[in-house]
Amino acid sequence: MNKFIQLPITALILFISFNLFAAASDDVKTSSEDFETTIYEDEIYDPLEGINRAIFGFNNVADRVILEPVSKGYKKLPPPIQSGVGNFINNLKLPLAAVNQLLQGQGKNAAESTGRFLVNSTIGILGLVDVADNIGLEQKEEDFGQTLATWGVGDGFYIVLPLFGPSNIRDTTGMFMTMMTDPINAYAVNQGEAWVIPMKTAANAIDQRSQIIDEVNALRDNSVDYYAAVRSSYYQNRKAAILNTDDDVLTPLPLISIEFE
Amino acid sequence: MRLKNIFAFFLIFFVTLNVNANEAKNWLNSEIDIIISAYQNKDLPNENKFLMIEQTINNNFAGTGIAKFVAGKSWNGASKEIKLEYIQLFKRHLALNIASMMQGYSNQDYKLTNSKYDEKNKVTLIDMEIFSDTGSIQVTWRVKKSKDRFFVIDLLVADISLVVTKRSEFNSMLKTVNYNLAEFNNKLLAQNESSYQKLIN
Repeated sequence: MNKFIQLPITALILFISFNLFAAASDDVKTSSEDFETTIYEDEIYDPLEGINRAIFGFNNVADRVILEPVSKGYKKLPPPIQSGVGNFINNLKLPLAAVNQLLQGQGKNAAESTGRFLVNSTIGILGLVDVADNIGLEQKEEDFGQTLATWGVGDGFYIVLPLFGPSNIRDTTGMFMTMMTDPINAYAVNQGEAWVIPMKTAANAIDQRSQIIDEVNALRDNSVDYYAAVRSSYYQNRKAAILNTDDDVLTPLPLISIEFE
Repeated sequence: MRLKNIFAFFLIFFVTLNVNANEAKNWLNSEIDIIISAYQNKDLPNENKFLMIEQTINNNFAGTGIAKFVAGKSWNGASKEIKLEYIQLFKRHLALNIASMMQGYSNQDYKLTNSKYDEKNKVTLIDMEIFSDTGSIQVTWRVKKSKDRFFVIDLLVADISLVVTKRSEFNSMLKTVNYNLAEFNNKLLAQNESSYQKLIN
């Protein structure tokens, strides 16, 4: 079948699936009578929990054996090198961030991201130095998962991807869309240098992981159910990213009573 | 005259909000200093460091309220003794979580950057920026005032609420014991012992 016919059919099936999953996901709500303190949505739709826990276990071992030690080694590099790597990777994300900002109707942010990319790629020596931040052009990340959410696509169910970690159906689709449309990836493939793609992904993973070594260890060492803690953290973090909650007032507030203190 | 009164009312209202937020910020700053200085004191054995930090956390966190919130629907079915046992265990669990996180930040500089009073929820939000060589991370403290005392009711790291995460995590574990708080207490005790050993060693 022609590739151009296959693509819209796949996209159509995906969108229908989203709506089904989203509807199922919306059905899972807890009753207000269950709690004395407040109404709160505790359940995340996770029908593949058994499989997810197995993959999570594998990822956890891979993290302990490979990613964490490498990230700790990376953390020992001189700070300017770490910043340079981080800035370079972040700069490569900007063209797609600008596209997603446009798709979400964030014209100002898209213009800022484009400005950031132009300034950092030129004055900032191919993105190694974040010059744009000093002139008020802040990094604002947007991806296809967030765009789909803004367009009303539901989360779907929770999944843990081998090596990539926590996700859901919508965000996984977003991730594939990013991989397929990333101009850097397309250029690398076009030039017969496809090895660049996994290298870029690995460098990004190491850079990101190195920034949360203490937080991950604190969570892992102190959780009665580490899997559930990561799942909840993922959903909270994504929710804030989708809503662009710069203001913490918008983050759901647990209704804590202090009558006993 | 009426216009003046309205203006004066709003002025007093906003000044009061600001005073509340600043008062909470100063209080929090001094309490964080206690925790950080405990970590930086090299003469203090790790066990004593944790005891100092646990005491500070117990004095300043709304531990009982958070414990109750986190227990969710298992709370109602439990007896008074089991609830009290759970609260004690939860307070230690909370202290271990905060201590473990703060341990990672003990060698870094921090600054309380911003504080604002959320009039609707009667909560003060205090932003803390923790600096490393390559960047910074933002932590937001949610603070409530009760009977002239401040209590921390939640902590947000990268938009992730500690309390909401704990509730989800506990709920997942409670489900496996049919929301029986007594059985859950045994699991929490075991987890606390494991966390404590990791922290002090």
